[in-house]
Amino acid sequence: MSSTLLPEERALDAHVRTNSSKSKRYGFFPGCVAKESCKELFNSTMLLADKLGIELVELTAASCCGASVLNDTNRDVARVLNARTYAQAEALGLDDVITICSTCTGHMRAANKELRESEEHMAQANAILGKFGANYKGSVTVRHLLWLLIDDIGLDALQAMVVRPLNGLKVAPFYGCHIIRPESVNGWESARHPHSLEDVIVALGGEAVDYAGKTRCCGFHVQLEKDGIASSMVGQNMRMAKDNGAEAVITPCPLCHLALDGYQADAAARWGRTDLPIFHLPQLVAYALGVPAEKLGLNKHLIDPREVMVSRDLIN
Amino acid sequence: MAKIKLDIFRFDEATDTIPHRDEVTVDLPETTTVLDALEYAKAEVDGSISFRRSCRSAICGSCSMSIGGVTSLACKTSCGSAMEEDGSVKIDPMPNFQPMKDLVVHMDPFWDKYARLKPYLQPKDADSAHATERRVSPDDMKKLVDVANCIMCATCYSLCPVVSVDPAFAGPAAIAYAYRFIEDVRDGQRPERLAQISEDYLWLCAHCYACSYCPKHVDPNDRIIDVKRAAITDRVMMNERGPRHALVVARTIKQTGMLAETEVIQGTVGRFNIRGLLKVAPLGARMALKGKLPPPFLKPVPKVDEIRTIFDALEAPVR
Repeated sequence: MSSTLLPEERALDAHVRTNSSKSKRYGFFPGCVAKESCKELFNSTMLLADKLGIELVELTAASCCGASVLNDTNRDVARVLNARTYAQAEALGLDDVITICSTCTGHMRAANKELRESEEHMAQANAILGKFGANYKGSVTVRHLLWLLIDDIGLDALQAMVVRPLNGLKVAPFYGCHIIRPESVNGWESARHPHSLEDVIVALGGEAVDYAGKTRCCGFHVQLEKDGIASSMVGQNMRMAKDNGAEAVITPCPLCHLALDGYQADAAARWGRTDLPIFHLPQLVAYALGVPAEKLGLNKHLIDPREVMVSRDLIN
Repeated sequence: MAKIKLDIFRFDEATDTIPHRDEVTVDLPETTTVLDALEYAKAEVDGSISFRRSCRSAICGSCSMSIGGVTSLACKTSCGSAMEEDGSVKIDPMPNFQPMKDLVVHMDPFWDKYARLKPYLQPKDADSAHATERRVSPDDMKKLVDVANCIMCATCYSLCPVVSVDPAFAGPAAIAYAYRFIEDVRDGQRPERLAQISEDYLWLCAHCYACSYCPKHVDPNDRIIDVKRAAITDRVMMNERGPRHALVVARTIKQTGMLAETEVIQGTVGRFNIRGLLKVAPLGARMALKGKLPPPFLKPVPKVDEIRTIFDALEAPVR
């Protein structure tokens, strides 16, 4: 729905796109969950990078981005932790940092924006980084792998790389809040009417399913605060996707993945059974680009995606 | 001029059991606001179309409605910006509210949550004879002006996913307005206000930033974080899961550099809260069967001392 972009959104969109790097070597910030409960996301990202011919250099000494929670305890700590990560990226000559998590994307970009726009914040961070000999100059850009696919690879080139098209598999996009909101931090595409995931689904030979839940919240961040909240939010959104014909869901966020994959069973009592398998973005792209399905960790999902893939003749 | 198809939700609680939709075509430029298009439709086509409006210039907060699936002020939204490919503009009452008639909704739950806040200044020295005005420094006032711009249009409340599944949640506008008094140096009820908003599920905010669509740039999302931080600083309801979660996340990052999932779950629910842990156990068991359980202990990232230095330099609290 590009026609629904406001003129200023379009201008911003174009500006961000033209300033993207064309380098084939990237700093890589996998985030905590891809190293803990969603290792299949980390592995399939690395397999996808091979297929795309890009090098993802992991920032192994990086810390957690703050996960939207650290701000609740202290106003500055997440910003300075991220400054430390950026200083490492700069020291390695890897100013283009790629994430594979919506929450990492939003919070790292927010910290970077504050550092780059406020001399006070930058001075505070560098005063602390100086204690261990580090310094951040402000040259890092944080982008999600989804944006890299569209900006640096390109949808046409991506489509040309597809060796196993998705045979019209009906896939519902689920963006994850922090890759689109707030618009003042992300701004890569319209937060109200994003379409990057739909564009990727179509490029892979799938059919994109539209539904109101695609830009809504999975509830991950309040799953422990009160019983039943996250599962209700999951149920509500997956019901909409299922009712609009989805056979599977794709998400660029492992936190959304944990919630959507984990809570559909609990939500069934109130919202009916949905049982939609949830793909990590790089899993489905890697599959279409020819990575063997058994290497993608699909057996790690609570809702096994292989049944749907068999029904569409994608795997045997 | 363009043919704009207004695709309007119609319902009258006095006579209807289920809603229907009417399509009203108006010949107006795409730059016309949705409110002007609705006024035109009401005047020229169907006088029974009901909606709230007053100022027509984003000051009164009356005309919030769902336009193209996102709540916005009708007076601030052009038809062209919300138009589908077939030239239609989908107009619905705000979600998270009971419809009354067409685009008019029952606002009572929203006002009730405001009223619970006692949204008026309760000065520190209210009992004593106060001879002079109560002065506020420009710096202290600066913190409050953005929130004071709230026009109570309920855009944020209607878009809040937590309100949609748990009506007990105070909602973004009320928490932002609580901030307005909690951070007012003249107010004497800070502890009571923090306790009240914590009881109204301050910590249930899902961090989704849907309230960043605020038409007046109040951005309740940031004020909610400020109120949570004030609650931790003042040690309000520290044994609830919200503050425990925030502080155990901070501790695991300080210890390992990473958010240690296993420890965060135990620390939030309570290591000795057997009933609470049993409730999360079934999901844990399903994940374990798939070999998906996060590791029980994490090896700290390289140079974790630097991370601890950052926490210590900022005196960031951990649990």
